[in-house]
Amino acid sequence: MSRKPQPPAREAEKDQREQLSLLVPLKPAAPLAPRAPEPALAPPLPAPAPPPAPRIYSVTELLRAARATLESRFVDVRVEGEISGLKRSGPGHIYFCLKDEEGQLDCVLFARESSRLKFELKEGMAVRCRGRLTLYEARGKFQMTLVDIEPTGAGALALAFEQLKQRLGAAGLFDAGRKRPQPFLPRRLGVVTSPQGAVVRDIIRIAHRRFPLPIVVSPTPVQGDGAALAIASALRRIEAMADVDVVIVARGGGSLEDLWAFNEEPVARAIFACRVPVISAVGHETDFTIADFVADLRAATPSAAAERVVQAKDALLARVTGLERRSSAALRLQLARVRARVEATRAHRVFAAERGRLQVAAQHVDDLVHRAGAGLLRRTERGRDHARRLRERLAGFGLDRQLAVRRERVETRSARLSALAREQAERRRAALGRLTASLDGLSPLAVLSRGYAVVFEGDGARVLRDAAETAPGARLRIRLARGGLRATVESREDE
Amino acid sequence: MSEATPPTFEQALAQLEQIVQKLERGDQPLEESLRLYEEGVRLSRLCHRKLEEAEGKIEMLLKDGRGEPVRDAQGRPLTQPLPEPTDEDEGR
Repeated sequence: MSRKPQPPAREAEKDQREQLSLLVPLKPAAPLAPRAPEPALAPPLPAPAPPPAPRIYSVTELLRAARATLESRFVDVRVEGEISGLKRSGPGHIYFCLKDEEGQLDCVLFARESSRLKFELKEGMAVRCRGRLTLYEARGKFQMTLVDIEPTGAGALALAFEQLKQRLGAAGLFDAGRKRPQPFLPRRLGVVTSPQGAVVRDIIRIAHRRFPLPIVVSPTPVQGDGAALAIASALRRIEAMADVDVVIVARGGGSLEDLWAFNEEPVARAIFACRVPVISAVGHETDFTIADFVADLRAATPSAAAERVVQAKDALLARVTGLERRSSAALRLQLARVRARVEATRAHRVFAAERGRLQVAAQHVDDLVHRAGAGLLRRTERGRDHARRLRERLAGFGLDRQLAVRRERVETRSARLSALAREQAERRRAALGRLTASLDGLSPLAVLSRGYAVVFEGDGARVLRDAAETAPGARLRIRLARGGLRATVESREDE
Repeated sequence: MSEATPPTFEQALAQLEQIVQKLERGDQPLEESLRLYEEGVRLSRLCHRKLEEAEGKIEMLLKDGRGEPVRDAQGRPLTQPLPEPTDEDEGR
């Protein structure tokens, strides 16, 4: 925006300052323009000689003469000072006084020039003004008509950036609470950028490498005069696409001036007004623009924006299949638990004799298992394609097959269990029979019943086994199968 | 789930996720589990379809002299294919 200063300006300015000090008091007798002849523009100047009759001017004539001199001598000058008494007029003209410690200079910046200023003039601001000197004849006032103003110190763009940032921030355009989340999976991605060049291609390539989603480009110039308004309008246009649910506003790297459109208010306002989330991706990682502050998400580069907005299809597929696996595993587990319960109860039925009720329960489970398989298959018959896919998937889960195998295994097992239990009971009964028989055989009563007797010594409990243990005259007690006897030994027959 | 408005991929995935969590808790009757499982199969099929259906169409919006989108009779914005890249684009 600033034109290069012409090399001889410094000297010329010095020269002009000297003259200015002569001109400002407007002493009529002072020799004006001592070295420059101005025949074409200047009205007749007072001739140095001959002395007799000094020329008498009208006020207007004199002012006009002074003005012509001023305007021809100070065509393009630069002057630094502080702004004071800043005023704006309706049509956009700006008036102020440029001051330093000792003097002041009235300045005017007309609407045409003031509209081109990137930053906002402030009272007390130190500036460098460029323009020409003139004289406002109607009031006899000397002033400078400016064509451009630059802040001294920080550059004009840096100042403009800070000013707009502050103003929009105060208006709530950067509020964190306003930032909208990105869609999980955009139906259509909008891209606002130049239709030519690497940026749009990069975004499309990277987005599609992750997921082949539809993309619509709203083309716009991204630098130069009018770029800000064009970008804002391209953003508004993209909202016409009803299913666009996220927009990337992008531009490749460049100088601060190249990226400038993204620091202008129309772009900021359009991003703010956009009905869907906007991701800004302007310049390189280190470039921050006003657009970045307003956007719902700032990406370091256009490529990064494409990565942020689109989830990888592979990852999504993996999530879905993971959930499928978990759901069939969970169902299999529950079925297995129910089965195990029924099985356990069935195993007990030999002893519990609740046959009927258990069979009903078992059949109920079988029904459910059957429905799980058949119901799903029936649904899939609605479309051949779906049926095929679902059958493949069912085969993949192996659910129906597993259920059939399980059902069969349960049937055979429970049959085998009841047979086994019956057999065991039989064996036990037989064993008990044998045991009681042998117990019976061991009972002394059984021996006595066969005609044997037991002989006890005297009244005691000692059983006599040897004739030598007694003698004639000893008393004996004899136990028979039924009842007993008391007896006395008559004689002994030893062996 | 009403048939009129099919859920988005995200909604279908979220519902599937809920169903799997319920199934994994395993605290509902077997009949309910089977119903949930069937619903889960339906949702995962929907998710697969949404992922497979995606086709990466690329379009460029057209605009009229006033910067408004050019629309067809139904009010849909008109588009054209994105111009092929040229050599001089490579710089920017």
